Amino acid sequence: MALRPPDPKFVLRGTGASVNTLHFCCRDQEGCDPILFSGQGRDAAVCTWDLSEGRNAVIDYIPLDSYGFCQCSLMQKDVGHYLLASPGSTLSEVKILDLLKKTPVWILKPPADAKLGMPMCLKLWQPLSCSRPLLLVGYEDGSVTLWDPSEKKMLSRLACHNEPIMCLDFDPEKVKGISGSSEKVLSSWGLDEQQNLKLQKTVTLVNAGIADTCIRQDKKILATAGWDHQVRVFGWKKLKPLAILPYHTASVHCVSFSDHVVLSERFMAAGSKDQRISLWSLYNEP
Amino acid sequence: MAIFDTPKEAFGALRPICVRITKEQTVNNVQCLQSQLQKVGDAALQELQEYVLFPLRFSLKTPGLKQERFVQSVVECIHFIISRTCVRNQQQLCDLFSELSLCLSSPSNHGKLAIISEELKMAVVQGLIALLHSAYGDIVLSLYQPDMLPTQGFVISLLLDIAEHEKSRQLQVLALKCLLVLILQCDCPDTHCSFDNNGLLQVGNSFASFLPGITLGMTRIISGDVKQGHLVTTYAIKVWYKVVGLVMANDQVSKNHHDKKMLFAEESKLTELVICRKPEWVKNTASKLDVLLQKLCSCAAGNSHWKVRLELVELVYDLLSYCNKSLKQSIGHLLEVLVGLVGDERPEVQTRCSQVLKNVSELCVMCENKDFTDVLSENLHTLTTALPRLMRTLDDQSKLKSLGLLLGYLKLLGHKVSVVLNSTVHLGRLSKALMQILELDVTDVRIVEERHLNSEAEDLQHPTHPSSGWDHLKTWSKPAAQRKYFKFFIEECVFILLQQICRVLGYYGNLYLLVDHFMDLYQQSVVYRKQAAIVINELLLGAAGLDVDVLHERETPVSTNDLKATVTSIIEEYTSTANWHLVTSIESEYETGLNINQPKFLDFTRESHKSYLYSSQSLTVHTMNSNIWQICVQLEGIGYFAHVLNKEFRLLLMVSLYPVIEKVGAETLLVSQMATRTLVDLCQACGYDSLQELINQNSDYLVNTISLNLRSLTQHPHTPRVISVMFSYSDASLLPLVDDVVQDILLSLDHYYNEKAQLIFTVLHSLMSALAHWFPPKDPVQKKEKPQDKACRSGVTAEEIQCFFQEYQKQKHLAEGDIKDIDLDKTEGDIPDQLEPDISSDHPIVKKELPAHIQIAKDVMERCIHLLSDKSVKLRLKVLDVLELCVVVLQCNVNELLPMVHRLWSPLVQKLTSDDPLVILRAFKVLCKLADGSGDFLRSRVSKDILPKVTRYLVSQAPVSTKAGPIYSHTLSYKLQLAELQGLGKLCEKLDLGETDLDMVASTCLPYLSSRQPLKLQDAACSVFYHLNEVDPDATWLILNEVYCPDVYNPPHSSLPAIQLTGMGKQRNEFTDNVLRLLQEFE
Repeated sequence: MALRPPDPKFVLRGTGASVNTLHFCCRDQEGCDPILFSGQGRDAAVCTWDLSEGRNAVIDYIPLDSYGFCQCSLMQKDVGHYLLASPGSTLSEVKILDLLKKTPVWILKPPADAKLGMPMCLKLWQPLSCSRPLLLVGYEDGSVTLWDPSEKKMLSRLACHNEPIMCLDFDPEKVKGISGSSEKVLSSWGLDEQQNLKLQKTVTLVNAGIADTCIRQDKKILATAGWDHQVRVFGWKKLKPLAILPYHTASVHCVSFSDHVVLSERFMAAGSKDQRISLWSLYNEP
Repeated sequence: MAIFDTPKEAFGALRPICVRITKEQTVNNVQCLQSQLQKVGDAALQELQEYVLFPLRFSLKTPGLKQERFVQSVVECIHFIISRTCVRNQQQLCDLFSELSLCLSSPSNHGKLAIISEELKMAVVQGLIALLHSAYGDIVLSLYQPDMLPTQGFVISLLLDIAEHEKSRQLQVLALKCLLVLILQCDCPDTHCSFDNNGLLQVGNSFASFLPGITLGMTRIISGDVKQGHLVTTYAIKVWYKVVGLVMANDQVSKNHHDKKMLFAEESKLTELVICRKPEWVKNTASKLDVLLQKLCSCAAGNSHWKVRLELVELVYDLLSYCNKSLKQSIGHLLEVLVGLVGDERPEVQTRCSQVLKNVSELCVMCENKDFTDVLSENLHTLTTALPRLMRTLDDQSKLKSLGLLLGYLKLLGHKVSVVLNSTVHLGRLSKALMQILELDVTDVRIVEERHLNSEAEDLQHPTHPSSGWDHLKTWSKPAAQRKYFKFFIEECVFILLQQICRVLGYYGNLYLLVDHFMDLYQQSVVYRKQAAIVINELLLGAAGLDVDVLHERETPVSTNDLKATVTSIIEEYTSTANWHLVTSIESEYETGLNINQPKFLDFTRESHKSYLYSSQSLTVHTMNSNIWQICVQLEGIGYFAHVLNKEFRLLLMVSLYPVIEKVGAETLLVSQMATRTLVDLCQACGYDSLQELINQNSDYLVNTISLNLRSLTQHPHTPRVISVMFSYSDASLLPLVDDVVQDILLSLDHYYNEKAQLIFTVLHSLMSALAHWFPPKDPVQKKEKPQDKACRSGVTAEEIQCFFQEYQKQKHLAEGDIKDIDLDKTEGDIPDQLEPDISSDHPIVKKELPAHIQIAKDVMERCIHLLSDKSVKLRLKVLDVLELCVVVLQCNVNELLPMVHRLWSPLVQKLTSDDPLVILRAFKVLCKLADGSGDFLRSRVSKDILPKVTRYLVSQAPVSTKAGPIYSHTLSYKLQLAELQGLGKLCEKLDLGETDLDMVASTCLPYLSSRQPLKLQDAACSVFYHLNEVDPDATWLILNEVYCPDVYNPPHSSLPAIQLTGMGKQRNEFTDNVLRLLQEFE
């Protein structure tokens, strides 16, 4: 007999609008409760915020070129040096900016005959082996592409979905990623030595539409945010379905894991269109 | 007025008389000398002291029988002399001492008290006292030389004899005082020569010999007849402890000089008398003294005069401070006396006693006196061992005493408490004793029976003042705490003492250890649970230093963090399902029983439900009472903890507020009251201004738990209560916060409309009544017109009649289409004014976002419509209640209300026409409320859908009920008739029905005015006519008069035709009584 799914640990209310994205901020490790913040913005701009010492003020406002569904991806290259990947001004184009200088570093354009559609999601990451960052882009046509921004070259392309890709996450350790789309399928793919994307496994879900996916920092589980109001949890290794968390009364937009030092205080947060953020304590026993 | 200032002059004056006395020993001569002496200055007298004393001493020494009178005057004279001078010669002192004492002894039996007059004895004793006072410097020490021992012994034995056997109290006291002087502990105000340690040692040495005699004698006096007066007893006690305090003093005994024996080696005979205070002697004496002490203390402590008890306190103080080493074995007893007297009835004794206690405990703390702690902890152990037995057998007063003792020991131990209680034996005994004493009496049935009238019932009772149910909740008033009833004692003061004991434990003890220990007991067995909780609650108060009375400050107070950690874990334990959700009434048990039956698979995950099953098998009033008390104690504890942590407790509200509020909504009165108290405590401790603020500020915690619990309502059947309470304590500002929850409630209603609809409708009821209270409907306009109707009815003048007919004429013309002489402008001007707002509000095409409360009311109403036809009558009734409230809330928003009414109509008609009578009645109420807000909308519908059916039924049933016997009132049709009749009148009035409808109603009800109808139906029919009278008094009057008319109406003018009413001149008939009654009341 299956165990009943747990209830959320706590539910945060009062946002007054649907929750589109979430991020845990646990930098002050000891003695500081994780801060969770959520953002919405459809004004084609990215804001940087000052959160130190409990402040919450907008420092900077970076206008972007396109209106779209795609969220930007941020990566810390060195201390104080951040790269931001964002969709560019023309279709299928991706721009990488230096966050401080606010200047584009690279502009990536796919070959004209690729017909990828709009970029839907981005993931800028640093491979363990080399110092150059790589970029994963999920496109409207359902394919995931791997780019080497410094050479402005598309390294590999994998058509793993039939519908636009809604979300992807990547695990540099296992060199393996996961992507979800507006259809029922969740696919995981790997990267071989030649930097080629290869489909590894697909899982078919009951209901279509995955808005967000997130791999936990310890690379053991991953969570997906479903349009069917449910959060699903899978084992990362074999994509074994572990739990379905029903709580929200509208489609879930985002999931996020905290990386709090104290294991038992690590939470998963899910934000939904029903204006609530639910906090869950999952598989925290060592 | 000294005349002879120089010795020479004085000598001249005194000489003759002195010579005369030597020759002729008469009273006269002596008195003459005394009067002469008065003329001599002090300095001169000092010079001549020896000379003057000589004849007197001589006369005492001369052998042969002497007159008592004479001896007395001589002694008085000597007294006079030595009290004015001082004795400087050792020899003289000793001689005088022995000579004076000789006066007391009988000449025949040397050493026994002579049979002489009291006056003489008095004079001698006074003489002795004066002599000892007049001894110059340390001369007095010569009296304590070993060679004086026999004399001393002789004097002491005489004095003891006097003190013990004399009748005169004055003499007794004097003798005792003399003894005090002898041991250099005089209590007179004169200054005394102070002696160094050696001197005292000498006195001590000499008195060591007399110690047994004196102490025995004193003990006899103290334990003697109470009638002897308190002064004697007081002095006896004083002598006792002064002697013992001198002889057994720590420093004297320890510094014993073993060379003393050598010193007196030559006088072998005397040496035998001298006692050497060796350790073994000390030990022996101490054990003997202990016996005496016990006797003495038990007598003195029970003495009715407070001064005696006060002296006893002094005794304890002296002995404890100076002899605590030598009298080691008596310490326990002394402390017992002291601690016992703390609770004395006289404040003087009390204050002195606590002073002494404080000093003593400082002594014990400062000196790190191990003996003290040992003795105390041993005493504690014995006492705690005996306590359970004492508690069972003694009366309340004695219990008070033994508990006072316990408290005293704990206070004396101070911070050593934690050391003592580290011993498992001690802690075990103490806790077992507390567990036994604090056992609650759970036999009272009332506690189980008393019910909390929930808001629903209150609202029903005061339908006109919906606010009355709310306002009292917002004030600060704490409901009075219910007294706890204990099995082993009745008096409240015993409990107060026990509380103090626990608090002192918490103050000094190791908090973690104690709480752990009592928590173990709490978990161990149901038998201990309540007591353990009481103890834990008090422990924490003590640990925080609240309401605790101690002798000295502890070194390190418990840190807030420790307190917080402890409180958190305790609250967790208290509010765990097994300890919190206890069965307190049969109904709730039934409720939980339902839960078990339905979702069986859930039970595997929840063990607590199994415990319900077991408990329900042996559910007695006692268990329920016990459960109630347990919850109360735990609630009380949470309130305490809040005060312990103050604002720090705010974080803990996250876990504690919900459970407490859950209990505020409990059915059992006691639990609910206690929970309300706790809520007020929380509020005060956390610094909120009102309960409302408390709830509003923390609504996120509540809302979170509520919404989670609503998802699995079967496991959390109490959730609706929390919501109800939350609503009832808060105000409209809460609404945006709970909006979310309301959606959850509705959702869970959709999920569980079978099992939980009842519960959820309770919530909805409280929600809607809260909304109705927060957003009161504006007063309907119709009501204002009524007084006018009445006014014109009361005094009809001719002018008014004229006006009426003119108006009538006008209207008639108008109706016939003749409108030429009517002021059109005026009517036109009137109408748009009323219509305009309606039109404009209808106009906007874009639908505005509705206010939250309107939206909620709409949503709720929607559910009501669905559930109106539920199987359960109870539920239907509830639904109708909620519906009524929805209508109230929506009243001011006609645009939303009317569509809903439209949808509601057909199920409601069903309820009104064919349902349980109770439901019909309730449905009529709803209809009346609806009529308030949307009368026009309903009028035609009512007259079309409802009236025909109702009237048809009533008409057809009327003959049946006329003939029916008494059993008829139990039939369904009777109830239905009654319900319809009861509702009809109000409905007519509210809807302002048209003439034809009114006529129909009136004619339907007329048969029910018959006296052959059951009484209740008659009454109900009468009520219909009352209401009809409100709508159309004239028509009603006419209808009634047509049936029976008591009066004859003569036309005021002959030109008018005579009035003919069908009812006129009729015989008395079945309708007469009711018609008359109605007409009378209409007047």
